Amino acid sequence: MTAPAREPWREPPIGLLAELTHRCPLACPYCSNPLELTRRERELSTASWERVLEEAAELGVLQLHLSGGEPTLRGDLEAIVARARALELYSNLITAGVGVSERRLEALAAAGLDHVQLSVQDVDPAGCDRIGGFQGSLARKLAFARAVRRLGLPLTLNAVVHRHNLDRLERFVELALELGADRLEVAHVQYYGWALANRAALMPTRAQLDRSVEIVKAARARLGDRLLIDFVVPDYYATHPKPCASGWGRAVIVVGPDGRVLPCHAAHVIPGLVFPNVEEKPLRWIWQESPAFQRFRGLDWMREPCRSCARREIDFGGCRCQAMQLLGDPEATDPACTLSPEHARIMALAEAEAAAPPPAFRYRRLEPVPA
Amino acid sequence: MSFAPADRLVVARGVRVRFDPVRNCNVLLAPERVLFPCPTSVEILGRLAEPRAFGELVEGLAAEFDAPVEEIARDVEELLADLVAQRVVRVERGVAP
Repeated sequence: MTAPAREPWREPPIGLLAELTHRCPLACPYCSNPLELTRRERELSTASWERVLEEAAELGVLQLHLSGGEPTLRGDLEAIVARARALELYSNLITAGVGVSERRLEALAAAGLDHVQLSVQDVDPAGCDRIGGFQGSLARKLAFARAVRRLGLPLTLNAVVHRHNLDRLERFVELALELGADRLEVAHVQYYGWALANRAALMPTRAQLDRSVEIVKAARARLGDRLLIDFVVPDYYATHPKPCASGWGRAVIVVGPDGRVLPCHAAHVIPGLVFPNVEEKPLRWIWQESPAFQRFRGLDWMREPCRSCARREIDFGGCRCQAMQLLGDPEATDPACTLSPEHARIMALAEAEAAAPPPAFRYRRLEPVPA
Repeated sequence: MSFAPADRLVVARGVRVRFDPVRNCNVLLAPERVLFPCPTSVEILGRLAEPRAFGELVEGLAAEFDAPVEEIARDVEELLADLVAQRVVRVERGVAP
C-alpha cells in the first residue's frame, strides 16, 4: 500500500524526542522502547547527534527531549546539551536518576540544561525496586531530586501509575511537594511494546482509575499554583481516543539511538513503513516528504466511522499504532474509541485482566546476543 | 485576579522566551509546553526576569509608554492574571519592601 504523491508538509515540528540510547539500569515492564532494543555499537556518534540538532533547529524544532533508555549513560550528554543551548533549543532531561552524581548534574546544568524530568516508579521503596528491577532505587532518586533542586533547575516528577502503585497516588503528590517539584505528571500506563506484553500485570480496575481521577482533582483544587499536575488516563477506559503525539507527523519527531526517525516512538509496529535514518537523509526531507511521515497525515487515509466523524481533526482517529497492535489494521479506528466496533471486546478483555490476579512481570531487558 | 502594589512577581522557573525565526514570532518555552505570547506579554515577561513588585512594574510601563498609571494597571492586571493562571508568572502576595 503506497500513499499517493503529496505536497511536502510545511508545518514545522515543535519537539524532538532524542532516544540517545536504549541502555538503562532499570527494567520497567511498561518501558516505551521497542521490544527489539538497539545495542550500544549501533548508537549514533556525538558528531551525528550535533548535526541532527542543527538540522532540527533549522526545521523549527523548539524543544529537545533527551531520553532513552537512560540518557545519562551517554558520556557525551554534556556536549549534546551544550549544542542544544547554543541552538536555543529548550532541553529536557528525562532520567531514572539512579546513577547520576551531583557533579554530573552540575556539569549538565552548566552546559545549559533547562529542565529535569525524573521517573519515580513508586513511593514505597520495595515497590520502586520491584517495578524498576533495581535495588535501592528510591533513595538514589530522592537524592538526585534534591540535587536538582539545589542547583535551581526546574523539576518534574513523572509517576507512571498502574494496578500496583495506584493505591499510593496521594503519597506521590506529597512526595512532589516535599521535594519542591514544579510539576507532577501522573501518567497511566499506555499499552504499547513492553507495556502491552505486560498488560495483564499492569491494567488497573475501573474503580482504581476513578479513584485516581478524584485524587488528582482534589489535589489540584487544594494546591492551586503550588504544583502543576498533568494527568494522562489509560485510554482503554476513555470515551475518545488520544490524538497520539498530537496527530501523526504533526508536532513530534522521534530519533532513535541508531538514527532511525519515526513520527512516534511506537511507530515501528506498523508494517510496510520504511523509517529513514539521519545518517542517510536530511531531517527536513524526512519530516516534510518521507512516505512514512506522510502516511497518516491529513484525512484521506481514514475510513468510517472516522472519515465523517465530527472529531476527526481533534483526535485524528486515535492512535495508528494501537489500531495495528490490537486489531492488526493501522487504518482502523483506534479501539480505545467508543465508536470503534471493536471497543467493547477490547474493553472486556482489559477489565477481565484487571479483575484477575496479576501475572509476573516480563521485565524489559536487552536479550543476550544469540550465539 | 487583582494585584496589590506590593505583590512580588517573577517569571516561573524553567520559562524562557525567545524569537523563533522559522515561525517569525516570539515563543515561550516551558516544561512540556510551548506558547506564543503577544508582544505585551513579552514586554512584561522581560521586566519580570528578576522579581519585581506589581507597583514598580506598572510605574515602569507607565513611564515607558507615557500613559496614566491607572490605565496601565488595568490592562496589565488582566494579562498578568492570565500569565499567573498559566503558571508562567509566579506571584508572592504583599512581600515587596
